[in-house]
Amino acid sequence: MTPETIKSRLSTYLTEVSGAPATLTSVQPLAGGASRDMWLIEATLNSKAEKLVLRRDLPTTMLEQALTREQEFKLMQAADESGVKVAKPRYLCVDTKVLDAPFFLMNFVEGISIGRKVVQLPELETAREKLPEQMAEQLAKIHQIDTIKHKLGFLPVPRLAHNPVQEAIQQGRDALKKLTIDHPAFEFALRWAEQHAPKSERTTLVHGDFRIGNLIVNEQGLQAVADWEFGHMGDPHEELGYCCMRDWRFGMGKRRVGGVGDREPFLSAYERYSGTRVDRKTVDYWEFLGNLRWAIICMSQANRHLSGREPNVELASLGRRSAEMQFEMLKLIEQMGI
Amino acid sequence: MYDRPTLEELLAAVGIFLEKQIGPLVKDDPKLYYQTLIAYNLLKIAERELVWSDKHIQTQWERLNNLLEIDLPLPTNSVEAREALERRNEQLCERIRTGEHDEQWPRTVLFAHLLATTREQLEVANPKFLQVISQERATRELSTGMLGGG
Repeated sequence: MTPETIKSRLSTYLTEVSGAPATLTSVQPLAGGASRDMWLIEATLNSKAEKLVLRRDLPTTMLEQALTREQEFKLMQAADESGVKVAKPRYLCVDTKVLDAPFFLMNFVEGISIGRKVVQLPELETAREKLPEQMAEQLAKIHQIDTIKHKLGFLPVPRLAHNPVQEAIQQGRDALKKLTIDHPAFEFALRWAEQHAPKSERTTLVHGDFRIGNLIVNEQGLQAVADWEFGHMGDPHEELGYCCMRDWRFGMGKRRVGGVGDREPFLSAYERYSGTRVDRKTVDYWEFLGNLRWAIICMSQANRHLSGREPNVELASLGRRSAEMQFEMLKLIEQMGI
Repeated sequence: MYDRPTLEELLAAVGIFLEKQIGPLVKDDPKLYYQTLIAYNLLKIAERELVWSDKHIQTQWERLNNLLEIDLPLPTNSVEAREALERRNEQLCERIRTGEHDEQWPRTVLFAHLLATTREQLEVANPKFLQVISQERATRELSTGMLGGG
């Protein structure tokens, strides 16, 4: 879709829904994920200049478990109302006649959301010192969101008789079966995962993709938590382990929390903000399981290319990146005890 | 058998084209530039695979002989060798599923094999990743005083 088309159709739409004249002054593409279309919109709404972000579906979706735009919008509203730092969601449109696919608009938040830059830019040095604490605070708030009050019944939940650990393992097995891959490292890791599964005591809302590359950061630190499409009901430990995975450290391997901090101060801060106790071993386990899942997802992504459905060099390359996560998952098993 | 350029030289030619001609051309389009980098990187993977694959197939086969407790010769035809390796990996998966490697000793041998196989994959896919990890371990051992006897 060209910026001109977006400009004309969106100003008509905004004039209609806001009940006041809306003009779009600028439409620029934003670097988004492989599956979402993102645009920076500058508009005059009711004589007020505003900067908004348009998030729109592309014909293909990244993962089957992903939320729809409508669900993501509602989840972001719930997060916003619960005091989580999030770009304020503004307008949701499920009518595909407007922009050919469902979309929503949210406030633009100034800052950097490219993980590598957040970890490496010299001007973000002070921000990085604050980040682990701020991440812990946001995670504690996310895990406390009342899903009943906010009517988030649409969130994926573990299937019947499965706790979040069992659900994650089963999803890995299902994905491999679908790919018809016989892979000894995955086979071993899944079996190890089953035999060493920790008890899951608390099921809460989890963001589902909470990592350094999904935060908007400026010199003052964390400004917003972005990309809510993988929100689901899970174990809070899942998310604490996930954001420690090596692949999100961008070369700062020794700083386990997203390449910006050590793990212990981060976990203690989370305990302070959430008022709950964190089992360190369970966090280790989820970091391992996160690597196992991401390693399998890489294979699924490569298959989108290999199957001929979506010829794309970036998707193809993920097949060979999987080994990095496999190595990490094996090393974590070794640390926890083979 | 074939006229030059050799396979290695063909890949190198495409690599130079991507790096010197396409790269500067797409520099201002972040998405295209990123995909060009990826394409260049995939060529480098192919080059390393040409160097390493015979050796890796051989070492993986030998470890599987040991692990599956049957000494079989590696087929000399490289297509057959790859197919045979795939079948043996299916067999290994089956053994893992049925618990034959659950006991401590067979599990330890299996784990060593999986780690070695993953290392071999990374030598082709991303040797820098392995370097970074081993440097990290070296500095950690230094800082925790393991070399000083602490």
